[in-house]
Amino acid sequence: MMEFSRRRLLQTGGLVGTALVTGGLAGTAFSRIASAADDPLYAAAKKEGALTLYWGSYEQQTMEAIRDAFKAKYPGIEVNLLRQASQTVYTRLRMELQSGVHECDSLGTTNMLHYTELKKIGALAPFEPVDGVHIPDAFRTLDPDKMFHVGAISLTSINYAPGKVQTPPASWQALLEDQWQGKITTGSPAFSGDVANWVVAIRRKYGDDFLRAFGKQKPKVGQSNVDTVTDILAGERVVGSGAPFSYTLTQKAAGNPIDVVAPADDAILNLGVTGILAKAPHPNAARLFTNFLYSTEVSMILQKNYWPTLRKDVPWAEGRSLDQLKWTRNTGDDLGPEVAEGIAKWKELVR
Amino acid sequence: MGVISTDSPDSAAAAIARPAMARVPLARTVVFGAVALLLFLLVVLPFGWVLNNSFHDDLTGAWTLGNYARIFQSAELLEPLFNSLVLAVATAVIAVGIGVPLAWLVSRTDLPFRRTIRVLTLTAFVTPSFIGATGWILLAAPNSGWLNTLWRSLAGAEAGPLLNIYSMTGAIFICGIYTVPYSFTMVSSALDEMAVELEDAAATLGSGTLRTMLSITIPLVTPAVIASFILSFIQGLTLFGVPAFLLTPTGIPVVTTKLAEFYQLFPPEIYMAAAYCMPLLLVTAMLFWMRRRILGRKQFVTISGKSRAGRRIALGAARWPAFGAALLLPLVSVFLPYAALLLVSLTRAWGQGLSWENLSLHWYWWALFGNSETHTAIVNSLLFSTLAATLCVMLGTVVAYIVERRMVFGASLFGAVTTVPIIIPGIVMSVGFFAAYTRAPLNLYGTPLLLVAAFAATFLPIAYAHGGSILKGIGPELERAARSLGAGEGRTFLSITIPLMGGGLLSGWFLVFIPIIRELSVAVFLITPKTNVMTTLIYNAKDGGNYEAVCAMSVLLLLITLALVAAAGPLTRLTTVRRTSRKTGRKTAPAEGVLPT
Repeated sequence: MMEFSRRRLLQTGGLVGTALVTGGLAGTAFSRIASAADDPLYAAAKKEGALTLYWGSYEQQTMEAIRDAFKAKYPGIEVNLLRQASQTVYTRLRMELQSGVHECDSLGTTNMLHYTELKKIGALAPFEPVDGVHIPDAFRTLDPDKMFHVGAISLTSINYAPGKVQTPPASWQALLEDQWQGKITTGSPAFSGDVANWVVAIRRKYGDDFLRAFGKQKPKVGQSNVDTVTDILAGERVVGSGAPFSYTLTQKAAGNPIDVVAPADDAILNLGVTGILAKAPHPNAARLFTNFLYSTEVSMILQKNYWPTLRKDVPWAEGRSLDQLKWTRNTGDDLGPEVAEGIAKWKELVR
Repeated sequence: MGVISTDSPDSAAAAIARPAMARVPLARTVVFGAVALLLFLLVVLPFGWVLNNSFHDDLTGAWTLGNYARIFQSAELLEPLFNSLVLAVATAVIAVGIGVPLAWLVSRTDLPFRRTIRVLTLTAFVTPSFIGATGWILLAAPNSGWLNTLWRSLAGAEAGPLLNIYSMTGAIFICGIYTVPYSFTMVSSALDEMAVELEDAAATLGSGTLRTMLSITIPLVTPAVIASFILSFIQGLTLFGVPAFLLTPTGIPVVTTKLAEFYQLFPPEIYMAAAYCMPLLLVTAMLFWMRRRILGRKQFVTISGKSRAGRRIALGAARWPAFGAALLLPLVSVFLPYAALLLVSLTRAWGQGLSWENLSLHWYWWALFGNSETHTAIVNSLLFSTLAATLCVMLGTVVAYIVERRMVFGASLFGAVTTVPIIIPGIVMSVGFFAAYTRAPLNLYGTPLLLVAAFAATFLPIAYAHGGSILKGIGPELERAARSLGAGEGRTFLSITIPLMGGGLLSGWFLVFIPIIRELSVAVFLITPKTNVMTTLIYNAKDGGNYEAVCAMSVLLLLITLALVAAAGPLTRLTTVRRTSRKTGRKTAPAEGVLPT
């Protein structure tokens, strides 16, 4: 009962917050559109007439909504959106750069390593978005040289089937209890960046013993962490590990019997990153878009799609916020070898 | 009356070719030059890049043999090769084991509802195997599969699963049933083009149905059977979606899932992936070599331009049981999985289960009107597939003609080159085309032409194999007659050979068009936002976990393709009538084409 009340309270808080922000937005809408017309960056971008986005973070629906909002606010700029899995997008960009092809203006993927490498080879252009001041403090300065910025915030957690699980596992450690043997679904770190990130975090936290015990639970290993949602909705498994927080909530909101747990021993936070290519064919349009990403409009779209927003002043859906969750993020100068080692250990111990 | 000859028609064909060389050297040079150039652009150049990449180090870019050494030194890389071979052999055995008898039943017997069986088999062909796998996951996942749920309700809650789609057996089953249409179409096409009077002659001489089949029919279709075995084997080797969906969860790696991993790694190991394809190429080269050894110079010429009868073998009491057996394939490859997909596509949120409140056309509305990209993707899919299939069949048929009739010295090299692309997994082919066409002077990156070329190249071996198996059954005597009456090579080919190939050629077009429209991995690195196709949209929706949308778009893709195939029905009938009339010199009832009419 108490939990119900708390949830109601949070929901109400979220609605009130949303209403306030919406009201504010409505109030400023005309002035924003009017000011857009006077924006010299928009004028320069309009001359370029197009923008090509290679985007791997956010699912198709959210990304299309962001694209449409940009086009509505900045008419005259055609947006070419290529939305594929992050690593596919990156492999493609890498091949393009090798061949001297410059199609992409702005890249958005879920792997920080992409950007450290692109920066190393001089493929990124510095840019400081004006609205970047609204980014949550913890992620405001990813790169001191302003070559890349946070483009998405995703949380990796545990999801479950409420009708079939009375008490869901409250932590990563709880997943190792006997009762969950043969009942867990997860993604593969070899295919999913989020799962790879989870493997790195869990090894840092509990070492390889966790993976060894996790392997003994005989999890069903799909490709993407999104597969955990599919397995739970289908009834194939009842608990998902390394599961997508936002997407699970989207499915719950759509009426599907699924829910999410933020593990007591920390949800794993992974940042989507975005950067502008040094040889972008439409550099001004890319800058305009990057700035737009931190606008209230975009954060409202993210809120509607259950993604953590990119602005401090726009709450998440259902009144959630980063402060209410226990989370951890893998940081370090060079995560590459740790990711590779994590995948190798996974193959050895979990498979 | 047809003639059967165990002599090669090559000597006759060579005799046809020689005077032509003297008479029209320019036209001949232009045609062969154009074919050679197209083969160079479509096959040699992209494959050359794949080969070149395989000898480079991913980190340093330096020349190396290290990628190959790594393959043979690492158990982790050898295991997927072994698993892929198991999957490929089993797929080919299933495809031929089911496809050949089915083709015989439909083409040669009085099986009831033959046309329906053809349509349904073609429906299975239209289905991308990754979509079929998705349907079967809904049906036969061990815990949640609807068939297993049904089983438990009958056998008790404690009973284990009846079926487990997440297994090597499951993957073999799916690859097999979705590859049957290849062998079915190729063999039924050969049977349709074959002279029935040979079987009549055997019957007149006292052979029973079985003996006639063993001594006449089976040897006559052997080239088509072997070609379809090889194609099915290659399908089993190069499919990605099915193993990714069904084998990854059980930890069984195959070559294609391993290749995908190479592209997913950071940094990606693109050059290593190129090397990893080469063992597959060797295996397939061996298969083609074995085909030559088995068939040797034995070629059965059965179309001589004379009339043929249309008698069908009466199945008698076996008629309805045979019909029941023939329905099994459509049942498992079309009815059951599409019923599952349709149900999911009609739910607003499929996790809620089936109820009146949850039923909705929302996802169809979304796919048709709510998603701005679907229209472009549908138009692109149809346009690119039509252009690519046409280019593919034209080139494949001409190459098959050159090879079968040994028109030039080293003609078999043309055949070998044409065969190469199918063994290169789509994603690697995609990278080969990317490397070849993102540079000057052929910078086609971002253009529809690049996709059309890549699609045509990928399925060129099918058009070539199909054209070859039809040509093997057509004697050169009519061509010789035309030549002796003064027709040039080109005119002979266009006015004699092509009409004789007739409906088989059209079936060849669909044999290529359908896999192109359902092709996914070739497009991965070549599409741009403006050249997106249906399969990439569907895969993106699957990647985003939107199963209702995946199912709705899959059903739409199936319906659009089937509508197109159905619209081609009258065309097939026209072709068949024209051909039959010309051969018999009188109006006859249309013979059944390879496609449903």
